[in-house]
Amino acid sequence: MKIAPERFASRRDTIAFILCVVLSLSARLMPPTAQDALSDAIRIVMVPAIWLQEQTALTLEARPLVSLLTAQRDSTALDSLRLYILTEENSQLRELLSLAIRMPTRHVAAEVLHQASPLGEYTLLLSAGSDDGVVDMAPVIAPQGLVGVIRTVSASTSVAVVWTHPDFRVSAMTADGTVFGIAEPRGRAGLGTVLMELRGIPFREDVPIGSHVYTSGRGSHLGGAFPRGIPIGTVRALAEQSEGWSKTYVLSPAVQPGSVSHVIVLLGADDDIAPAFEPEDP
Amino acid sequence: MKNGRTRLKLGAVILLLFVLEFSLRPLFGESPIAPDFLMLALLVYAIGTRPGNAAVAGLVVGLIRDGLVPDAFGAGAFAHATIGYLAAWSKAVFFADNLYVNAALFFFGIWMRDVLMWLVGRHAQGIEVLWQLGYWTPLHALTTSLSGVLVLLIFRRWLHVRIGE
Repeated sequence: MKIAPERFASRRDTIAFILCVVLSLSARLMPPTAQDALSDAIRIVMVPAIWLQEQTALTLEARPLVSLLTAQRDSTALDSLRLYILTEENSQLRELLSLAIRMPTRHVAAEVLHQASPLGEYTLLLSAGSDDGVVDMAPVIAPQGLVGVIRTVSASTSVAVVWTHPDFRVSAMTADGTVFGIAEPRGRAGLGTVLMELRGIPFREDVPIGSHVYTSGRGSHLGGAFPRGIPIGTVRALAEQSEGWSKTYVLSPAVQPGSVSHVIVLLGADDDIAPAFEPEDP
Repeated sequence: MKNGRTRLKLGAVILLLFVLEFSLRPLFGESPIAPDFLMLALLVYAIGTRPGNAAVAGLVVGLIRDGLVPDAFGAGAFAHATIGYLAAWSKAVFFADNLYVNAALFFFGIWMRDVLMWLVGRHAQGIEVLWQLGYWTPLHALTTSLSGVLVLLIFRRWLHVRIGE
């Protein structure tokens, strides 16, 4: 035990203590109204501390609220994304339905079961098969134009090769049917976008930028796959000219297979189906 | 006699504890074992000052508490003034300037404060008093004491606290 005599309570300390005791006991014995008034005065003095306490309490209360709001915001964002997908799908279905009504040849609608990746998938799994009349080499189209061609058929499904496949070729022509060539895939113009090119255009022929290109249907009577008049794309630029023999044009494709969810498989491929793709009169 | 710089440091620590009472303690919600930073500020002040000053500080702290939680107005003022005086007096007479002794002082200071408040306030009765003084108050005193030790360790140079002795 360490004694510190210089810090013993002096008379002044004792008097201060007794005064404090008397004051506190007086406060205890005061009438309730006087106690309330004193409490109010103390609370006025302590306003900054009470404000600090309120802010802490608000923070504490806000914490679960923030979690709740975050969850609600995430749910709303997810809902809006679903809504966008549904709207997009609905729009595609409406266009497909409209095209199906106008289509002069036999056909069957199919759902794309496996979406093509924008970075390199070349096939689509379709929900229609031989039971629906789908046959090998049947053309596959979307409301905007050419998608590809059926390669393998099973009873209830089929596999279509899309035009992005490196070996894909289709005979093409301009809208007025005066210039003919071969359309095929051409590299990438950017992430998710694959371009086409129109090759073999005679050197003397000029195809204006912005011209629409369709399937020519040439060779369909010799076993060719595509009927005449399916939109392939739009001329974007002149790519190259080879020694006075031919020209190649770059095309913006009418359909990006990665964004297709529903297609039409044509079952009778001999007619000119260009009118089906013409815009409807309002 | 303390010099100005020492007083300033002590004042800063007490101000910090005062702010913690109103900013950190509410985070514990209604928990009865949340550290009592206001009482801690009083005891930190008491161990370094004269008993009379500690009694006056205790009266002020007690009135603040009574004003904010008016269960038994005046009881807090009495209890805090008494504990402040006794803490400063007993520290001066008996106790070494040691961390563990200070921790014990915090613990018993809280416990005795609650006993005195009950004696003067009488706002609880029967088995509730036993639970309060025999269970909750010791837990409350323990958490406050641990908080006090932490404060002394952090500010040992400012408060001139010896750790090992």
